[in-house]
Amino acid sequence: MAERPAEQASTPPVQQRQPAGPTGPRRALITLYAIFALAATSRAVVQLVTKFHEAPLAYVLSLFSGLVYIGATVGLLTTRRWSRAVAWASCGTELAGVLAIGVLTIVDAVAFPDDTVWSRFGSGYVYIPVVLPLLGLGWLWSTRSGDRPTATA
Amino acid sequence: MITALAFVVIGISLLLAGWTGVSAWRHRPTGELQMVLAIVLEAALVTQTVIGFVRLSGAQLAEPVTFGAYAVGILLPVPLGFQLARMERTRWGSICLCFTAVVAAVMTLRLIQLWQATGG
Repeated sequence: MAERPAEQASTPPVQQRQPAGPTGPRRALITLYAIFALAATSRAVVQLVTKFHEAPLAYVLSLFSGLVYIGATVGLLTTRRWSRAVAWASCGTELAGVLAIGVLTIVDAVAFPDDTVWSRFGSGYVYIPVVLPLLGLGWLWSTRSGDRPTATA
Repeated sequence: MITALAFVVIGISLLLAGWTGVSAWRHRPTGELQMVLAIVLEAALVTQTVIGFVRLSGAQLAEPVTFGAYAVGILLPVPLGFQLARMERTRWGSICLCFTAVVAAVMTLRLIQLWQATGG
């Protein structure tokens, strides 16, 4: 799945390569991030509006995770100078957040009477929240600048 | 909501997800029939949402706001996947449509749960 963009320049492509190169997996990543941005943010807004007092910490964290997903989506979607920095920061925050909240919700379940997107490493979302930042960071790492000439961005 | 219709929607979603998943596995972009199926799915989702809102006042739901948010939010993923599959004529377009079809199925399942949870 993870296709190395920088193969040996001398070897011609053996099989038919994906014409879009890294555009493909990047679009799939953006799809996942956009869905999670929508899911986490709208969930948090509904919870904050309807029942803020039941679990304020969990709902504020849900909102925070939603904003992080929005940041990652924008960072991956755009190609400005700051895009990759935003994507790196968002995916890094996301990984740290899902690991921290994942551990906390298991160790100190009393502090979280209601779930967040990142509770128990995202078990409510088939553990996609813990895999997604790894995919994002992996894509950023494999496409970091300087390792290939600008072909099709 | 009509529960039987919801399960039809889930069936269409999973059919589309499985089909586009196979396409992605075979390094193929989405085909015309898959795009037609995506449109059928979205039409079914819209129908389901309209029925849900029409019958909302009669059903004493525990979380009506959450239900409303899901009923509207569920309309968004499939058009996103559809558009990406049109732009991206590779296996990755198939993967995008596959993801969004799975999301539609999961969200419909959640809608059924919310519909059956009545406030006491």
